[in-house]
Amino acid sequence: MKTINFAIDLGTTNSLIAKYDDGNIKIYNNPLGLKQTLPSCIAFRGNRTVIGDKALDYLEKDAENICMLFKRKMGTQDTYFVPSINKEMSPIELSSLILKELKNFVNDEDTLNSVVITIPASFDTIQSNATKKAGYMAGFKEVVLLQEPIAACLAFANTSTVEVTNKQNWIVYDFGGGTFDVALVEVNDRELKVTDNLGDNYLGGADFDNLIVEHIIVPFIEDKLGLTNLWKDLKSKETNYKGLYFELLKIAEEAKKELSHYEETEIELDIDIIDDNFYEQFVIKREQFESLISPKVEQTITFIQDVIKNNQLLNSQIERVILIGGSTYVPLIKKRIAEAIGVEVNSSIDPTSAVVHGAAYYAGSKPASVSEVEIEKEIIEDNAPEVKLFYEQNTRDLEELITGKINSDVANSFRIMRKDGGYDSGVKTLEDGSFSEFVPLLEGRLNQFKIQLLNAALDVIRTLDSVAINQGSYNVQGQPLPNDICMEVDDLDASATRLEKVFAKGSILPLKKRIYKTASKTILQQSKSNLIINIIEGKSKGLPSSGLSIGYIEISGKDLEEDLIKGTDIEIEIEVTESRDLKINVFLQSCDQEFKNVFSESERAISIGKINMEINTVLGDVEDLIKSNNSDENFEYSQQLETIRVGLIETQIAASLIDDNDVSDTKFQLDDKKRKLIQDFDDLTRNKVIANEIEEYRDTKSSLEYHLNKEENERFQEKYARIIKNEREVINSGNKYLIRSKIKELDELYDAIVQSSDENFISYFLNLKFCTDFSNQRKADRLFKQGDQAMEKQDYKSLRHIVYGLSALLPDYEKEKQKNFKDDSRTGLS
Amino acid sequence: MTEIINQIFALDLKMKKDSNESANRYLDRIYHEFETMGFQIVNPIGKSYRNEMTDVDANIIGDLNRHSKITKVLKPVIYQVENNETILLQKGIVIVE
Repeated sequence: MKTINFAIDLGTTNSLIAKYDDGNIKIYNNPLGLKQTLPSCIAFRGNRTVIGDKALDYLEKDAENICMLFKRKMGTQDTYFVPSINKEMSPIELSSLILKELKNFVNDEDTLNSVVITIPASFDTIQSNATKKAGYMAGFKEVVLLQEPIAACLAFANTSTVEVTNKQNWIVYDFGGGTFDVALVEVNDRELKVTDNLGDNYLGGADFDNLIVEHIIVPFIEDKLGLTNLWKDLKSKETNYKGLYFELLKIAEEAKKELSHYEETEIELDIDIIDDNFYEQFVIKREQFESLISPKVEQTITFIQDVIKNNQLLNSQIERVILIGGSTYVPLIKKRIAEAIGVEVNSSIDPTSAVVHGAAYYAGSKPASVSEVEIEKEIIEDNAPEVKLFYEQNTRDLEELITGKINSDVANSFRIMRKDGGYDSGVKTLEDGSFSEFVPLLEGRLNQFKIQLLNAALDVIRTLDSVAINQGSYNVQGQPLPNDICMEVDDLDASATRLEKVFAKGSILPLKKRIYKTASKTILQQSKSNLIINIIEGKSKGLPSSGLSIGYIEISGKDLEEDLIKGTDIEIEIEVTESRDLKINVFLQSCDQEFKNVFSESERAISIGKINMEINTVLGDVEDLIKSNNSDENFEYSQQLETIRVGLIETQIAASLIDDNDVSDTKFQLDDKKRKLIQDFDDLTRNKVIANEIEEYRDTKSSLEYHLNKEENERFQEKYARIIKNEREVINSGNKYLIRSKIKELDELYDAIVQSSDENFISYFLNLKFCTDFSNQRKADRLFKQGDQAMEKQDYKSLRHIVYGLSALLPDYEKEKQKNFKDDSRTGLS
Repeated sequence: MTEIINQIFALDLKMKKDSNESANRYLDRIYHEFETMGFQIVNPIGKSYRNEMTDVDANIIGDLNRHSKITKVLKPVIYQVENNETILLQKGIVIVE
C-alpha cells in the first residue's frame, strides 16, 4: 500500500514541508535559505516573481506588489490587484505559488502527487475547499486536509508515550510570530477531534520585540543623549535615523531569545546616531521583560479561559496544554498558563515544526489513492524543451552572464539558482524564447547553477543541472608566470634545503600569497646566525640552487630587536605584481618585528656567502657520483660530471676573490654560472636519482610487507595503510625529497616491527656478518662470537642486545649528514 | 563554529571602528585558519545589493533600487567548502541603503 507521506504546513506567515519515511519525519530545508521555513510572501516585480524570504525585501518600497497574509482571505472573493503585472491574484492562486515553491525543497528524485495540507481549526468548508483547490493548482493530484491543532496533538502523541484510554480534553496553544490561536481538542482512544477554537490574527511574538525597543532601548538612548520623541521618529518614513529601527529590532529579538534561557542579558548598543557613534551596554532582567509583555500574555490566557468556559468545562477537566508557535519559547507563557489553568503544560515538541511534523505522521498512515502509472502517462506527453546555453566557464569577474535560448512553445519562464544557496533569480518570464541573466559568483570557487524552465502555470518542465562557472581562473589573456616561483625551506628529515612552491608556472599575474612557517632554529639577538628568505624562480622539483634567486633576504641576529625563538611563527607575504616586482614582507612573531623588501628584476640581491655555500653542497654530491660511476666504469657519464665539478670549483675560486661589497656585476655573473652548472647537474641526475629513489621505495615496501603479512604483526597494518595512502601522489610528484621522506617513514615502521620480537634479530645478525666497515673490528669480532653462542642457545634476547652493539659500531651516515647540515646552511624556515 | 566566526568578525569590526590596527595581523591569521578549515567568510560591505542575493538577509532602508548598497554588515556570510562542494552555512545580516 502506498501512503501519502508528504505534508505541508501552509501557514499565515511561514510554511513548511515534511516527509514521513519509515517512522521518521524529515523536514526539508529551503535549498536557498538554510531554514526549514518559507515566509508565505510573494513579490511581483513585473516579469519577475520572488517567493519567500527575498520577497520581504520589497515590503517597504513596493508594498502594493507584495502579497502576504493571504491565508486570512482564503475562501473569500477578495483578490489582490498587483499593479506590476496588471492582474488580480486570488488567495488560491497565491497559495498555490507557495505550495509550488515548497515542492522545490524536495529532492528531484521524489515525485510529489499526494499531499496532506494543514488548515486552521477555524476554517469553514469554503475556506477548506479553497485550500484544496490551491493544492490541485500547484500540481498535486490528491490533497488531504488536516486541522493544525490535530497535527500538533499528533506530533505530541507520537513523540511521547502517552496512553489515552478515556476521553480527555487537550488545549493546543499556538502563539506564532504574527497570529495567536487556541483550540480545544477531544482525545479519545487515540482519536482526535477539535471541538472549539478562538484566536487573534494580530497578536504575535513580533509585538514583544517592538515592546523591548519602545519601552527599554529607546528610553535608554533618549536618556543618554537627551533626545525626545525617538520612538516615533524611528518609525517615521522621513526618519533621520536610517535603518536604526531594524537594527534595534534585531537587538531586541536577540535579547528576547537570551531571556528565554537566562535570568538576565546584556544589551550592547554600538550604533551610529546623528552622525556620531553611540556605545553603551546595559543589562535587562527577565523580570523587566516579563512585566513588559505581561498584558499581551494575559490576553492569550483570557482566550484559553474563554474556550474552556464556552464549552461548559472546568479547568480541572483539561488534561494538558500543548504549546506550539515560536513565541512559546518565552518561559512566562508556560508559567502563566500553568498557574491560570492549573494543568500540565507541555513544551516538549519543537514549536515551529510541530504542525508539519504531526501532519507528516498523518500522511504516513494515509493511503494514497492516486497511482503513479496514471501520472507517468501525463508526463511523457510533455516534451522537454530544447535549450542552448551560453556562458563563460572561467572568469575573474565576480559576475557573469548566462544566456539561454529555448526552443519550445510551452516554456514561459525561467529561474536560476546557485547550488550553494547564495543566489536565486526568482521566476522570470522569457523574452522571445530566451533569457540573459547576470549571476554573482563566489570568489575563488567553482560556482554551480541549477536552471529551471517553467510553463505558464509555473510548473517546472525542465531542469538543467550542469552549469558551472569557475571564478578566479582566467579565460582571457593575462601575463602568465614562465616558471614556478618557490621558496627555499629546510627539510629537516632530509637534512637539506628544498623548494616549496609558492606560485605555479602559468599562474596569472598579479599574485599574492601569505605563507605561515615556523622558525626551525633559534636566532639570538646580536648573534651571527641568520634567517634566510630566498625566493627562487625555477622548477619546484629541482635543487634550490638550480633556480634563479629573485628575492633574497637575510635577517641576522643583529637586525633583531628580540631573540627569534625556534618554533615561533614566521609570516611571509609574497607578492608578484603585474610588472613582475617581487614584494616580500616578513613578520617575526616572537620579535614582533616586520621586514619589508621590494625586489624588481633589474636589481638582484646576491650574497657571495650563499653562492659559496650552495656550491659546497652540490660539490660533495658531484664528487660522490663521479666516484661511484668510475667504479662502475661508466666513464662517459662521469666525464660529464667532471666538467661540472671543474666549473663549480672555478666559480668558487672566483667568488672567493670578491666580497659582498663589490659593486661590479661579477657576483651576478658568478651566480648565473653557478646556477647553470647546478641546473646541468640537476638535469643530468634528476631522472636517475628519482628512479633510484622509487626503486628503493618499492624494495623497502616489499620487505616491509613480508613482515606485515605475519599474523603477529597485524596491529601494524593500520599505520602502514596510513603511510602508503598518498603513495601515488608522492611517486608521481617527481620530487625526490618527498619520496625520500616516505622511505624514511616506511623504514621507521619496519624497525618498529622488527624490534617488536626478539626472533627478528636473527636475520639482522646474519646480515651484519657481511659488513666490513665497523669502527672497531676487534670489538665487532667479539660480539659476533657472543652472538653465535646466543644463537646456539636460542637466547634471542641476548642476540638482540648484541645486534644493537654491532649496529653502534657501524658508521651512521644519517647522523653525518645531519651534522653537516649546520646552522649556516639552513634557511631557518621549516 | 559559526558563532566563533561571528564573534571574531564582530571583534574585527569593532577594532576597525576604533581605527585600531594593532591586532589586524592576528585577525588575518585567524581568518586564514578558518579558510584552511574550509570556511569561506564573505563581508559584503559596500557591495551593490540585489534582491537575488539569497546569501544575505537584508534590512532595507528607503527605496530598493539599482543603486542600493550594503552599508552595514551585522553578521558575515559564511560558506563551507567540503569535498569541493560549497554550501551556505550562514546568511549574512546586512543593512541596505
